[in-house]
Amino acid sequence: MRSILSMFSKSPFKPLGSHMDKVRACVDQIEPLFKALDERDYDEVGEVSELIVKLEHEADKIKDDIRTHMRQSVFLPVDKKDFMHLLSAQDDISDAVEDLAVLLRIKNLDTPEIIKDPLADLVSHVVKTAYKGCDLIQELEALLESSFGGAEADKVDKATQVLGTLEWEADRKQFQLAKKLFSLGNQIDAADLFLWNEVIKKLGAVADKTEQIGKTLRIFLSQ
Amino acid sequence: MDLNTFLLSFAVIACIYMACNIGANDVANAMGTSVGSKSLTFKQAVLIAAVAEFAGAFFVGGHVSDTIRKGMLDVSFFADVPYHLVYGMIAALLSAAIWLHIASYLGWPVSTTHSIIGGVLGFGVIAGGVDVVNWERVVNVVLSWVVSPVMGGLFAYLVFRYINKAIFSTRRPLAHAKELLPFIVSVVFFILSIAIFYKGLKNLHLDLKFSSVLLIAFVMGFFGFFLSKVLVRFIPDDDSKDLAHQFNTTENLFKYLQILTAFYIAFAHGSNDVANAVGPLAAVVSILDGGVVGMKVAMPTWILGLGGGFIVFGLMVWGYRVMATVGENITDITPSRGFCATFAAASVVLICSKMGLPISTTHTLVGSIIGVGLARGLPTLNLGIIKMIFISWITTIPFTAIISMIFFKTFLLFLP
Repeated sequence: MRSILSMFSKSPFKPLGSHMDKVRACVDQIEPLFKALDERDYDEVGEVSELIVKLEHEADKIKDDIRTHMRQSVFLPVDKKDFMHLLSAQDDISDAVEDLAVLLRIKNLDTPEIIKDPLADLVSHVVKTAYKGCDLIQELEALLESSFGGAEADKVDKATQVLGTLEWEADRKQFQLAKKLFSLGNQIDAADLFLWNEVIKKLGAVADKTEQIGKTLRIFLSQ
Repeated sequence: MDLNTFLLSFAVIACIYMACNIGANDVANAMGTSVGSKSLTFKQAVLIAAVAEFAGAFFVGGHVSDTIRKGMLDVSFFADVPYHLVYGMIAALLSAAIWLHIASYLGWPVSTTHSIIGGVLGFGVIAGGVDVVNWERVVNVVLSWVVSPVMGGLFAYLVFRYINKAIFSTRRPLAHAKELLPFIVSVVFFILSIAIFYKGLKNLHLDLKFSSVLLIAFVMGFFGFFLSKVLVRFIPDDDSKDLAHQFNTTENLFKYLQILTAFYIAFAHGSNDVANAVGPLAAVVSILDGGVVGMKVAMPTWILGLGGGFIVFGLMVWGYRVMATVGENITDITPSRGFCATFAAASVVLICSKMGLPISTTHTLVGSIIGVGLARGLPTLNLGIIKMIFISWITTIPFTAIISMIFFKTFLLFLP
């Protein structure tokens, strides 16, 4: 028994928000992860990365749920493809964080003195960028309320520009860090060098994927 | 027990069954968006719908009813065999009630009027052949499948676009809402007054001319304007940057409007659609009493009370279940969007029915919800279900017609 209201399907925007909450929980763990690494507390690194893997899995479950419930016949106020794109971007963030966690567990990695500061800088910058992306998703409800127009749209538009700038800065910090890392030359073990390079790339990926969220939201606004 | 008593009790039972089903099927339609937007709880919705339906049925629902809704059949054909009309009416009632029962079980918002029309057509064709049926009226019904949702959808689209542009897309939504609300309220009051007073309160024997109704409507409109003007003063201004909070307060304002229009829809439903259950019973009673068959029949108060009472009963016992089930799967439809849909539906039903266009409340409401959705006003709309709803509208008349034929044939076999 459903009557006229069976015309409304469950809003996918709510689960999108819960998915983002899980992604945010993953992002929350980035700083503790690198802090433990810096303190050479490898048990702690293991525990934190374990937690990240668990959170990422929970996010995945929500993502799959949204995908299976998004039937062909459902009509959304935004293009369904763009909506899926947004979901993928969110998913990519948690994936990148998970990759980071796995990379740091491959072996007990030493942090060379010379990259400590720029690394901490990049980490905090990437986390800041990711949080900004999470905040943007929380604006989605208000954006829906104003049918993607007006003051709320302006606000989101500005925030996506900020996100773009943050990502650009992250790229530069990533570049500086890579330069420092490769300046070590023979002083660093080849395996360590390779791993560190991967870690830096993944950190950059977190910021990259966050920028994707902003880009997709701007497509919503342009419709 | 003689035949007359038997037929009367049978007709009363069929009428009760039909009334219960009308209550169950239509309550969720009239009150659905209000519950969906959390403007009302299930209990409140059922209570308001009960009051509105009963008031509409008892005070507005005509004391003189058409024997057959919309003059579908030529009853003079039955002058020689009045009892066949009695059997036919019972068959029509039963078939319509069964269809509504199935429809509300499957969640299809079908028109109760169309259901009873199908039933009447069914026995009419069997009793007198295709000639007794007024096919022009049937074409009207088919037209209403298109006219109602299209008009509802178009109007809801425009209302939503306007409200969105004037309030929700601005930099200060709450301030604009407070400015605009008195105008919206006056329009709502104006339209509702016309609806209620023009050819509405027949039972109070007011017989107002259209000009005086217009005057009353203007007065009510002004009353609504100033009342809401005073009331919005109590809402504190909020020009803070926190748009989400402003949206919240604005939506709360729309809750009251939404409840008002939902009340009106239930009221209008009570006044129009009770006839679907009690009209056939009144015809049966009048034939059994004097054997006269007319196009119009006097409606005894006890029958009207019976119909209204059991609509409320069906709504409470069954409608509650419908609503409760609905509540678990409900989406976040906001009060402003719910208001746009119900207000558009109420206005279209009023305007079109006064203009003589064929219109169905349920179909209009479905259309206006789609309209709000297409204006990017709803988080989701299930288009698959909409196709099914449309199929159920088309199926209504053939289904009830065939069931009614079967009943009628069976009655002819076993009854004199």
